[in-house]
Amino acid sequence: MDSPTIIFLTESELDLDALLARITLPTTGAAAIFTGMVRGQTSRGDAHETAYLDYEAYQPMAETKMRQVADEIRQKWPTIEGIAIVQRIGRLYPGTPTTLIACTSAHRNTGVFEAARYGIDRLKEIVPVWKKEIGPQGEEWVEGHYRPKPGE
Amino acid sequence: MHKVKVLFFATLRDYVGSKSLELEIPFGMTVGGLTDLLVATYPRLEKVKNSMMVAINREYAANEQVIPEGAEIAFFPPVSGG
Repeated sequence: MDSPTIIFLTESELDLDALLARITLPTTGAAAIFTGMVRGQTSRGDAHETAYLDYEAYQPMAETKMRQVADEIRQKWPTIEGIAIVQRIGRLYPGTPTTLIACTSAHRNTGVFEAARYGIDRLKEIVPVWKKEIGPQGEEWVEGHYRPKPGE
Repeated sequence: MHKVKVLFFATLRDYVGSKSLELEIPFGMTVGGLTDLLVATYPRLEKVKNSMMVAINREYAANEQVIPEGAEIAFFPPVSGG
């Protein structure tokens, strides 16, 4: 049976149920689904409020790097059945899912949790997407900290 | 000389005032050489020169890498998706 890998960027709302259905096989008994959300109120660190985020992507490279993340997951956890990695772009308001990383497998103890966690961590390291934060204090591009190595 | 496409994203697009440029560059020019040329043309890039990332044909590139003919070169800040 083919292992489904779903990769895309979209300006449309994420349909979590539909995405889960697309990575569910007859043998699937467990799914770990992570979604990032737009946080309206930040208390950790520099406390502030967020009105909305504007996401942009270097789309063709982002798709390539999302596929690379899926390949890395399959190498590390060969028992993973389906993988979905989706990034929403455009203007997103608090409470909205912005990204989805979902992994399925036959049983919950075969790495699904770790695989989904790895997926979101890697996406935030190497997938060329940026967000501008707009709030009562004005607007500011958010910058990451990770510097991918050449070819990474 | 050969023609390349240069793309800018996020803060760098704001600094350059454009999201893409077509440039004629000498054969053998490296990523570092192109970076210096761009900083000279767009002085606002100076402060992010050491933090920005560069991709050639959609793959992360090193400063000493020579830019291939007809390449697509993207400059952007460290990514912040998710």
